[in-house]
Amino acid sequence: MSGIVRRFGSLIGMAAIVLFFAVSLPDTFLTARNWLNISQQISMLTVVAATMTVVMVMGDFDLSVGAMASLAGVIAAALFVAGWPVPVALASAVAVGLLGGIFNGVLVSVVGILPFVATLATLTVFSGLAFVVSDGRTVFGRDIPEGFAALARGGLPLGSADGRPLVLPNLTLIAAAVVAAVWVVLEQTSYGRRLAAIGGNAEAARLAGLPVTWLRLSAFAFTGAGAAVAGLMYASRVASANPTQGDGLMLTAIAAVFLGMTLTRGGQPRVLATLAGVVVLGVLDNGLTQMRVDSYVREVLVGAIILLAVGASALGRRSWRRQG
Amino acid sequence: MRRLSLDGLSRRFGAVQALDAVSFGVEAGTVHALMGENGAGKSTLIRILSGLDRPGAGTVAVDGAPLPPGDPAAVQSAGIRVLHQELHVVPALSVAENMHLALPVPRRLGLVDWRRLNAAAAAALERLGLSRIAPAAPMGDLGPGDQMLVRIAATLIRPEGAAAPWLYVLDEPTAALTGAEAERLFAVLDELTGAGAGVLYVSHRMDEVMRLASRVTVLRDGAHVSTRPMADTSDARIIEEMTGRALSDLFPPRAGAAPGPVALSCAGLSAGPLRDAALEVRAGEILGLAGLAGSGRGALLRALMGALPRQAGTVRVGGRALGPGTAAAWAAGLAYVPRERRSEGLMMRRPVAENVALPHLTALARGRVFLDHARQRRLAESQGRDVALKAASVAQAVGDLSGGNQQKTLFARALAGAPRVLLLDEPTRGVDVGAKFDLYRLIRRLAGGGTAVILASSDLPEVLGLADRICVLRAGRLAQTVENDGLSEADLLTLCYGRDAA
Ligand SMILES: Nc1ncnc2c1ncn2[C@@H]1O[C@H](COP(=O)(O)OP(=O)(O)OP(=O)(O)O)[C@@H](O)[C@H]1O
Ligand SMILES: [Mg+2]
Repeated sequence: MSGIVRRFGSLIGMAAIVLFFAVSLPDTFLTARNWLNISQQISMLTVVAATMTVVMVMGDFDLSVGAMASLAGVIAAALFVAGWPVPVALASAVAVGLLGGIFNGVLVSVVGILPFVATLATLTVFSGLAFVVSDGRTVFGRDIPEGFAALARGGLPLGSADGRPLVLPNLTLIAAAVVAAVWVVLEQTSYGRRLAAIGGNAEAARLAGLPVTWLRLSAFAFTGAGAAVAGLMYASRVASANPTQGDGLMLTAIAAVFLGMTLTRGGQPRVLATLAGVVVLGVLDNGLTQMRVDSYVREVLVGAIILLAVGASALGRRSWRRQG
Repeated sequence: MRRLSLDGLSRRFGAVQALDAVSFGVEAGTVHALMGENGAGKSTLIRILSGLDRPGAGTVAVDGAPLPPGDPAAVQSAGIRVLHQELHVVPALSVAENMHLALPVPRRLGLVDWRRLNAAAAAALERLGLSRIAPAAPMGDLGPGDQMLVRIAATLIRPEGAAAPWLYVLDEPTAALTGAEAERLFAVLDELTGAGAGVLYVSHRMDEVMRLASRVTVLRDGAHVSTRPMADTSDARIIEEMTGRALSDLFPPRAGAAPGPVALSCAGLSAGPLRDAALEVRAGEILGLAGLAGSGRGALLRALMGALPRQAGTVRVGGRALGPGTAAAWAAGLAYVPRERRSEGLMMRRPVAENVALPHLTALARGRVFLDHARQRRLAESQGRDVALKAASVAQAVGDLSGGNQQKTLFARALAGAPRVLLLDEPTRGVDVGAKFDLYRLIRRLAGGGTAVILASSDLPEVLGLADRICVLRAGRLAQTVENDGLSEADLLTLCYGRDAA
């Protein structure tokens, strides 16, 4: 019995949260519409957290993702203003994310700067660049092409409820595709297992013939590109771009990965667990907002729940070690 | 006479009964050896008696007074000093600080008294003849052998006001030491026992145990087999009690077949401490590398493997020049068992299967990209059987295996790709006699099957027992290559020291 609590404690906690909201918000919470809505609300975070997982399996992390998301948004907007076609502008913004990620990777794996320091510095750089590119202003209204804004509004029709259509949002589909891709890469390819090996013991990986430098560099490229994609999704959803709009994603994404790690055996980062972490955070946010909990109080509650989950799992692991 | 008594100690890890009602006593004034195969429960017993782990049942008592379980401080103040098997050091802290990790730090006015801290460390190092190691140097600057010596020296520190330790518990202290370093340790042990202290001593090196111990306890599969005075037993009997089988010759006979074509050669090789090395090893041949600590034995293997950048010179495998880097080396058919399994070899928290598959991921993948979990598991299982690995399953985390079985996991990894050339650095460190017996046969069998083997070891009997030819290194240079033909241990040691064999 106590074994079940240890292993599935976080899952039970998640179920309890859902149950709590289902009871407190009987008419709105457990509806298909609300869950589709949640899926869209968390789609950006999902993309950032999933690609963050790629570096976290190596035991690294990337603090610059939020700034990169903002930067990608304003770059796309600047290119729209300059009259570039939407697909080209989007591809360019993602390319910038890829380059930024590669830059992080070079700093960490070639130059050998600690990820914390390197990505803290690039966070500042990317954030500054976002202000430079946008001149500190928000781009919105007519400067944002209709086609771009429509992307976030559209989706796959699923039928209707209460006389209104139910739609699986495009952003949710993108997030699902990213999670699926990261899952395949991390769990089903030798590339992914090599990243995990670096997290397990970098020196052993090197001596076993793994190209550690290249692997680390490429993993950061993933994370940078993911951050840019999330930034574009965000810009599309709010049909505007400003140089700080993605900044909040970084801490929440890392929190989601950590929450997910409480679910896995051995406490390792895995992408499906990360997704579960994102869902918990999204459900909390959605439910508490619907209950009209003040947004500052909401932050306190969310922080407390993260601590509770991570702390409980740490204690569980410790007692497991003791009893063996 | 002070006495430590262990009474009915039991400990389970999941399905593994690591200790099963073990009782025996250790007395002051003697060296008491604790022997057993890998996984017999020696380190578990020591973790329990030192308070790092709690027994499922049973008590540890000093002079009849039971010690509270799970309380390292109480063990310390009962006058017991413990050296654990795994290398735990803090590389960023100084040698003196590392030596005081488990001891009260000397203070003045509530602040650390650096002068006395360093002096205490220096005095303890001096006793092991280690005045060359500066107490203020960062621990990370020392090699693994020196780190082990520092940890041993740390057990000799006597904090002011504390009672003199009367029992030293040492878990495989010589596993990482060279002959000369071990001799220095033995001299100190003589001194300690002469002054009335007791030693509980774990080692897989039979000759040491025969020489040092006056009593010996044997464990097998967690159970107590015997505790006897040395005079009432013999090495053959101890081995039989440990393994449950009689092992005749530790080293298998050499095949005597003519070696095949040159499998690996190098010329003008310089890397790290190594200067201008040239050697050749043929298919089916075992080449031993002997030399004192720091002579470049390990560096030579690392340079061949591409783990140490080659500054000059070429390496050829099967006649083809080898590119830089470890990936090229594995791809060319080299396989490597590194010296430090914990820091260089294994992913401790990952399953055995992943550890075995690590260098072979591409070869194991479907279409070279997609993982084939079943194939990976089958590979680990069959390789594990080959090296007689004892693990609950290949899904078990390597860190939960005993030291010797961790070493066998590295062998399983190296052999999984059917290598052309096998590079072994201290391959049987911390491996029990039974497992050594198995590994030696395995190495011989591989050579018989046409694999070229290069074996670097500080264990001279091992080099002499296995190698066909022996390269002697001195101060980074390949000084001499000799046929291993009627060479004695003394001859080889003389060569290592740089005088010609008499
Ligand atoms: N934390 C743990 N979790 C699970 N099993 C463990 C753990 N620690 C030890 N064991 C198991 O207990 C048994 C005894 O291990 P122990 O380390 O005491 O052996 P040992 O006699 O010291 O061997 P060696 O000579 O290889 O050091 C082994 O089967 C080992 O796998
Ligand atoms: Mg042990």
